[in-house]
Amino acid sequence: MQNNQVLGLHHHIPLTWVRLAKLTPHLGEQKRTTASLLRKLTTASNGGGFEELPLVGPKKCVQQLQCQANLVYCLPEKQGTSVDGEPRRLEKVVCSLLDMGFSDAHINELLSIQPGPSPQQLLDLISEFILLGVNPEPVYVALKQSPQLLNLPVVQVKKRSSYLRKLGLGEGKLKRVLHSCPEIFTMRQRDVDEVVQVLKEKCLFTVQQVTEILHRCPNVLREDPSELEYKFQYGYFRMGIKHVDVVRTEFFKYSLTKIKQRHVYLERLGRYQTPDKKGQTQIANPLLKDILRISEAEFLAKTACSSAEEFVVFKKLLALEEEELESSMSEEEEEEEDEDEEEDEDEDKDEEQL
Amino acid sequence: MAAPILKGVRELMRLVDLALVPRRHRHKKKWAATEPKFPASQLALQNFDMTYSVQFGDLWPSIRVSLLSEQKYGALVNNFAASDHVSAKLEQLNAKDFVNEAISHWDPEAESDHSVAPSTACSPNLRCFTFARGDVSRFPPARLGSLGVLDYYLMDAASLLPVLALGLHPGDTVLDLCAAPGGKTLALLQTLCCRNLAANDLSTSRTGRLRKVLQSYVPQGIRERNQIRVTSWDGRKWGELEGDTYDRVLVDVPCTTDRHSLHEEENNIFQRSRKKERQMLPMLQLQLLAAGLLATKPGGHVVYSTCSLSHLQNEYVVQGTIELLANQYSIKVQVEDLSHFRKLFMDTFCFFQSCQVGELVLPNLIANFGPMYFCKMRRLT
Repeated sequence: MQNNQVLGLHHHIPLTWVRLAKLTPHLGEQKRTTASLLRKLTTASNGGGFEELPLVGPKKCVQQLQCQANLVYCLPEKQGTSVDGEPRRLEKVVCSLLDMGFSDAHINELLSIQPGPSPQQLLDLISEFILLGVNPEPVYVALKQSPQLLNLPVVQVKKRSSYLRKLGLGEGKLKRVLHSCPEIFTMRQRDVDEVVQVLKEKCLFTVQQVTEILHRCPNVLREDPSELEYKFQYGYFRMGIKHVDVVRTEFFKYSLTKIKQRHVYLERLGRYQTPDKKGQTQIANPLLKDILRISEAEFLAKTACSSAEEFVVFKKLLALEEEELESSMSEEEEEEEDEDEEEDEDEDKDEEQL
Repeated sequence: MAAPILKGVRELMRLVDLALVPRRHRHKKKWAATEPKFPASQLALQNFDMTYSVQFGDLWPSIRVSLLSEQKYGALVNNFAASDHVSAKLEQLNAKDFVNEAISHWDPEAESDHSVAPSTACSPNLRCFTFARGDVSRFPPARLGSLGVLDYYLMDAASLLPVLALGLHPGDTVLDLCAAPGGKTLALLQTLCCRNLAANDLSTSRTGRLRKVLQSYVPQGIRERNQIRVTSWDGRKWGELEGDTYDRVLVDVPCTTDRHSLHEEENNIFQRSRKKERQMLPMLQLQLLAAGLLATKPGGHVVYSTCSLSHLQNEYVVQGTIELLANQYSIKVQVEDLSHFRKLFMDTFCFFQSCQVGELVLPNLIANFGPMYFCKMRRLT
């Protein structure tokens, strides 16, 4: 049905636009030009050779060619009240999108997302992403996956875009982030700031390193800032991983649970040592990629040299230990608070005596 | 206030200490004047890494991770409490009596050269529940029954093996030479075979604990009937004190208590101040075993046990003592082969396959019992 709607659209667009579209260099990966498509179909409708039709399901297309219902009137009311101006605006939007390199199928899908913005708004939004260096295909995928992006006010998107550019996330670096963490546009500025602040000021990463982290491990945006800091401290102090390696190995990508499970297991097996103050260990620690980046089966066979059975039990025991640690930590904090209060009282007494 | 900053520093210190010392025994910075640079538990671990990696080779990592992780317990049923519903309660928790399992699975056909049935080879009346391999459930604490005693005693299930191996018969006179804190002593009583039980430990504070255990588990009437004698004498003197007296002797010697030493700071034998004492342990152990053998009637049995992996404290001591008794006292002692016994319990425990004499339960995450070394001997002359 989608192809037919597109055809319906093009039926209203003068051939001149399409020719221009064909001449404009495409930004994205497009397999066939809309122009050639259109020509083939108009040929077909004039009784030309059906064999030339490149589309899937040619018969259906030919049949639907008859019902050239104005797609404009079929689209939902988001188009606005003015009927006459609409087709023109829609055409312009479609053309621009074609120029950017979106395929007709994608364009059609994007336009029919419900609830959605007006075509102009859609174009403005998409333009921001394109200007940030994201290619059409990834933009399409991101928008399809997270349609809530389409309903953002353009002003916000523009503001966020310039912030992201400042962070160094332009020039196409945004693609991965957009894909796995579209919230980077919907989140409150404050929340993005908090994450960036933790990385810069608490963990002491350089600005370039922060960009790298956001680019390669966009999930950090979703994490609680203090938990993110704890994860860093665990890697840095407990495992002895330097800043450079935290970034390079995409350390933040892994959950703290997984990191602890694998690290503590290796440590207790005697296969991992926390480096001393000079950064030295008595044994050669396994590479981080052989700890975190591999499947559990490979980890057990290659790095831990242990059985799956034992690891299963270990994980259960570790979970129990963590529970006890947390409950006794909160107990101790209560104790400390009580003691602090007592100390304050004593101080007051001393002052009175003086 | 400095509190938030201190809290932050403490946080970081906690992170660093995480794997090494469990929370309750971690050094409490605010109460101590100085920070121990190298906790004894860490010295213990270093010592073990050096000796056991050589002694056990590829087996050492899996033993090490087990020692550093939470151990598994068994629930020894108190035969002096109203015990029927106790077994049912424990079974409901999904635990099984491993002693019963072992004995019921013994196949008389398979063991052609062993004429003795396990029921006579193992001390009777002992029931001890454990959770299945890989099950990390914990037992709830024991409860007081109608007779005023607790219904079960939680212990490392491997600690029961030396008592099972001793093979008590009804009417035996029994000596427990290093009895404190009292788990094995209690187990000896549970066999219902002791005509007399002599329980001794050098340390008075530890015999105090032993008495408490007996009070909590054995009703007063039975305690008196059983003629249990608790003493705090030097075990090395027993050859002179009560030579040739006992049918069965258990010599569960002081050792480096490997698992314990990795977790507890207090009184840790790996403290630098106790180095000499630690180095003298094998000598002490030999003297204690010799005394135990001298206190045994000719024809009687002795089981020597430790909770250490060190073969210097295990086989070395057994072999040294047998030689000493032969040379200095002209007493002949024969080691009894426990391989059949070991096979009975293979499903519950992980055993080391290469002991020269005796048997060694190895800690393993799937069955995190032990370490427990035990060797059975018979005094022939």
